[in-house]
Amino acid sequence: MSQEGDERLIGFHVDGAAAALPLAIVREVTDRPGVVRVPGTHPFVSGVALHGGVALPVYDLRRFALLWPGRNPEDPRTAPEVADRLIVCDWGEISLAFLGARVDLVEDRGESPDGEEPEGRPCRMGGDFVKRYLHFHGEAMALLDIDRLFSSLGVPAAEPPGRRETGEDNPARG
Amino acid sequence: MKLLMVNVGEGRYAVPADAVTQIVDPAIEPEFRLEKSEAVFRGERFTLFDLHAASGEHPGATPVYLLLQGVRRRAIVAVDAAESIREVPAGDIAPLPPFIFARPRRVIRGVFLDGDGPRLLLDEDALA
Repeated sequence: MSQEGDERLIGFHVDGAAAALPLAIVREVTDRPGVVRVPGTHPFVSGVALHGGVALPVYDLRRFALLWPGRNPEDPRTAPEVADRLIVCDWGEISLAFLGARVDLVEDRGESPDGEEPEGRPCRMGGDFVKRYLHFHGEAMALLDIDRLFSSLGVPAAEPPGRRETGEDNPARG
Repeated sequence: MKLLMVNVGEGRYAVPADAVTQIVDPAIEPEFRLEKSEAVFRGERFTLFDLHAASGEHPGATPVYLLLQGVRRRAIVAVDAAESIREVPAGDIAPLPPFIFARPRRVIRGVFLDGDGPRLLLDEDALA
């Protein structure tokens, strides 16, 4: 799936670090609902939220260690920031959501094509999951590479509508 | 479907009532004892699934034990309280996306809204 050509982004903060996702994949941004923790899930899965009758997987990027190269757990900057918003995304036929704070619309002006962080407050996100850095309100904002990120989170690749078989995963087995 | 509502620490779970052979209270059942990862009940050994550990909860002081009948075998699960049995329409239970699980063995079938919050439906076949 590609969002080339759409320059609008959704910016948000995770643990004080600024990140952005293409607006094209964001269905809605809501207040954080009740999220129930599910045993046996990946550590970066915060849980699921019932959203319109659907079990929406909720991801907490703070817990995705590969996104935070060199992070020192003792660093006072890693003090948790309250993620009071839920960013709901559509990825093919799959819906998923991220926890975040200070959500805002951002325009992608194409800064830092070489991958270097612009001047200003640095962004602690890095690694293969950052496409490039933007400069937004005096701080560096990581534009996330959603193909790589979602793949590493275990989210299946986006498929054209209709390919997924119906009837699978029927919890009632009726 | 008829579900038995149970609590495990702060977690709210349900299990199909048909799969619950017995609710064992060790305080009044002398023929029940725990041995490492197994439970022995009336001379028979059962796999003990530690849902407290799996869900990151601390075990309560007075757990009760559900004897579950899965498709292949039986197992025992410790819970902190068995609340009630209620009928929940199958259509109200939302399946969980399989890709959120770290391992193929998934002990949760789905989730449904119960009162003011979600409740997880256990998979008795994966537990047993």
